[in-house]
Amino acid sequence: MNSDSVKAKAFIARLLQNPALKGFSALQQEEQIIQFLHANAAQLAPTLSSGQFFPGKNWSQIFSLLVGALYGTINDVLTPDLEKIVSRLNFTFIQLMQQTRLEQEKAAAQVGAYLTKLKDKPETRRELTGPFTAAHFGITNRYLEEIFLRKSYIHFELTKVQRLRLGVEEVRHFLDLNLLLKPAVYLFISGSQGQDRATGMVQNQFAERALSQLGKELKALPEPVLKSVVHGSVSFNDNRFIEATARLSAIFSARGRNYQANVKVDRGADTPDKSWFSTARRNYRFYGFDIKMLDELYKIAAENMW
Amino acid sequence: MSKTRSFLENLVLVVIVAVLVQTFLEDFAILQDWSVSARIRLLFLGLALDIFFTVEFVVRSYDATRRHRFADYFWVERGWIDLLASVPLVLFNSGPAALAVLAGGLSVAGMGGTLNILKVVKAIRVARVLRLLRALKIFRKIKNTDSLMAQHHVAAVSTMSVATLVLVLVVLAAGGAVVTTRSLELDYQQRLERAFVHLEEENPPRDQLHRMVETIGGILIVEREGTALYSRYTNAEYGRAFSATDYAVLERAGLTMFVDMKPLNRQNAASNLRYFLVIVVLVLGYVFIYSPRFAMIVTDPIHVMARGMEEKTYNLEVLIPREYRDHDIYRLASLYNRVFLPMKDRENAGTESESSQLTMGDVQDLFS
Repeated sequence: MNSDSVKAKAFIARLLQNPALKGFSALQQEEQIIQFLHANAAQLAPTLSSGQFFPGKNWSQIFSLLVGALYGTINDVLTPDLEKIVSRLNFTFIQLMQQTRLEQEKAAAQVGAYLTKLKDKPETRRELTGPFTAAHFGITNRYLEEIFLRKSYIHFELTKVQRLRLGVEEVRHFLDLNLLLKPAVYLFISGSQGQDRATGMVQNQFAERALSQLGKELKALPEPVLKSVVHGSVSFNDNRFIEATARLSAIFSARGRNYQANVKVDRGADTPDKSWFSTARRNYRFYGFDIKMLDELYKIAAENMW
Repeated sequence: MSKTRSFLENLVLVVIVAVLVQTFLEDFAILQDWSVSARIRLLFLGLALDIFFTVEFVVRSYDATRRHRFADYFWVERGWIDLLASVPLVLFNSGPAALAVLAGGLSVAGMGGTLNILKVVKAIRVARVLRLLRALKIFRKIKNTDSLMAQHHVAAVSTMSVATLVLVLVVLAAGGAVVTTRSLELDYQQRLERAFVHLEEENPPRDQLHRMVETIGGILIVEREGTALYSRYTNAEYGRAFSATDYAVLERAGLTMFVDMKPLNRQNAASNLRYFLVIVVLVLGYVFIYSPRFAMIVTDPIHVMARGMEEKTYNLEVLIPREYRDHDIYRLASLYNRVFLPMKDRENAGTESESSQLTMGDVQDLFS
């Protein structure tokens, strides 16, 4: 490793130690640092190109060095974290859904390999932030517990409409898998074709094409699971029949994007989840969320002061 | 703030607390009939504190004038309280009282033929009420909330209530010095006046005088042409228990009468303590109850909305308590929650311009 890389890694390591980044997942920290570098380029460039840091290099070269070091450092944390999440995934829910045998190791290996692919491609890596954060902090877990206790709209959609004959644990694994693979749809996107840039939602017909591609690459997973994965990026406004798990993964993926664990709530402010769901309810059309699901999740957050 | 200035400000805080304790103890000592020496020490301590606050006012005025902001200091930063709670007290309260102690007594001899001994005491008492304003000075030092707005508004409300109370007391005390109304004080005064006139005109024999004086009460010593005709206590007792403000001397045509002022002083001290406690509790109530409450229902929602407008990633809603939802501030907060935050969220959706939690300030140490 040359001295520039060492310096870049040291600089990034110091940035990552900043207390302001506490409570963020690895990918959120990565985004924060990239945004910081973009926003403060004018001030950072003269100092970082001085003799003490990267003499003779222009900002674009320095930026590449720093981002390379950042990806490397984050990968050191992200890769084992993803492996841990995948290893915890229990694919029994697929057997229960399909009434067929499924090789756990084979499925886990395929999913793990696919996640490596998602994290290595910049476009999907960015889209992985929300789902990874949601899975990393287990945001879905506590809500699923409440959903199954309440047996209200979401529970009805999961069990009666989507006809999942699964317990809360199985649904949790289904949802986590759905979340982690959600960015896969962007592997098949070139430019902004078929995608809403603001919300990240893709057109229905485009999703169907992505589904057939995905089916070829993730053979261990059955079509209902892959459908739910792909439909996680389709607006509920465009398709009222998308799976409840897909609708939930769209919501929790968006929630994970700016989630911060153990955030200190200002006096006079409402709780983070309640605030987020409240805003999401008002923007449900814009993001293509299911308003009834948001209503229920809002109530859960309010009742539990989350 | 420089170290010297910080030290002086802390010193002022300590002295403010000290003067509140001293104000309480000065009246408490009268009520509990503490020894003369203890009360004199408290009196001179009071004078020293009054002088300290006079110097503080002069220094603050000089400093403000030097920076061309005397009007700000006097009106906005409540320099007028500093003035009222310092100079008049030295001139009309602790100063004269200390002088009386040094001179050895309070003489009201030959006041145009009328023995109006109480009016002088009342006039001094008018100034004393101003001491109560000092409870407000503690506001400048105790900041129970970070919000400048809360500090300012709570200080304004407390100043208005305490200053109004003090002003009413001053007017009542001043009015009492000018207009004579029926009161226990007046009864006491008239009883002693009649006794003095009777002694002056009748010149009763000593045993009859003793009986009369004992019956009337409130008379300590009667002397005619320098010869003591009656004395209630021994000289040692007078020395231990009577300070200059505990008695008054009436003198006319060779007759001298020392009058016990302690019953009136005790009555005044009890009334002063009541006012003092009312004002202290009022001020503490404003500082520790109203101020946080004001912050909670006014400045906290404003703070949340300000952060939401300033910071791109701040998306917490304002918590709207059900009982306050019709308040203007919460109606605004409701619009912030319902309209502004969703609009901001849509505006920022999918853009790369999301602000980072990191700032240049966070990396300054890396470049030093």
